[in-house]
Amino acid sequence: MTATDRSHFVYVSFIRTTPAKLWQALTDPEFIRQYWFGMTIECGWTKGSPWKLVKPDGHTADIGELLEIDPPRRMVIRWHNEWKPELKAEGPSRCTVEVEPMGSAVKLTITHEIDRPESRLITAVSGGWPLVVSNLKSLLETGQVAVVER
Amino acid sequence: MARSTFVYVIYIRTTPQKLWSALTDGEFMKQYWFGNHCDSQWTVGSSWKNVTGDGQVYDTGEVLEAEPPRRLVIRWQHNNRPELEAEGASRCAMELEPSGTAVKLTITHSIERESSKFIEAVSVGWPKVLSNLKSLLETGSVVLHDPYPGTGR
Repeated sequence: MTATDRSHFVYVSFIRTTPAKLWQALTDPEFIRQYWFGMTIECGWTKGSPWKLVKPDGHTADIGELLEIDPPRRMVIRWHNEWKPELKAEGPSRCTVEVEPMGSAVKLTITHEIDRPESRLITAVSGGWPLVVSNLKSLLETGQVAVVER
Repeated sequence: MARSTFVYVIYIRTTPQKLWSALTDGEFMKQYWFGNHCDSQWTVGSSWKNVTGDGQVYDTGEVLEAEPPRRLVIRWQHNNRPELEAEGASRCAMELEPSGTAVKLTITHSIERESSKFIEAVSVGWPKVLSNLKSLLETGSVVLHDPYPGTGR
């Protein structure tokens, strides 16, 4: 497969926290709700667990499976949109979340990819991840999110 | 199209005026840009340069567009590493948009060539600089003091 058969989005943020606290923030459903605009993740957080991103009204936005998990360093999610037919039709994507200590901070890297060119799912998540990660960084560093309402 | 582009979006809890000032005030910039600062009059046609803490000029260029507090476009020529300098001038657009309680800052840095080493380099640098800028505006202190901190191993 050549690079042009694939779409991907990478987002890096440096957050003043510890890997353990960031991991907790990425996996605790009540905490997730605070920075993800009321959405949350349901998952058992063990390899092979079903994974689900749930909207504030209880509808499922995305479904998938935890492909890899290595707390507090790395997780890989098979991520299939469930909500928008044109995104669902693109099939499953893969989202890798990496957490690395960097001095007094932690480097968070989100890599979201799909094996098809010009993916609309990847365009959609390219808009979403900066909002969610900006809020997560603010919440961990200041106790409040950056963007209250979308 | 023979172009390399890096786009980074970050939401910062501040106002467009404060963010514009943070992007154009040399002394403030030194705090979040690891001692570097950009020197310019910030009007269209003004010369622009990015200077390190010890006075080395890393990049030079010109302000192509300036519309405070919304949009700034810089012609950005690297001057320090020969292999990056050889790629010629890039273009960096900074856009500020109010977004509820925050400001959406979009950095689009591009060059008219494929597989650019310069764009690869700025793709590593911008997340560090902008993470620092966000922390400084929101908390009063930066998140990284050293651009290449040890990993603690």
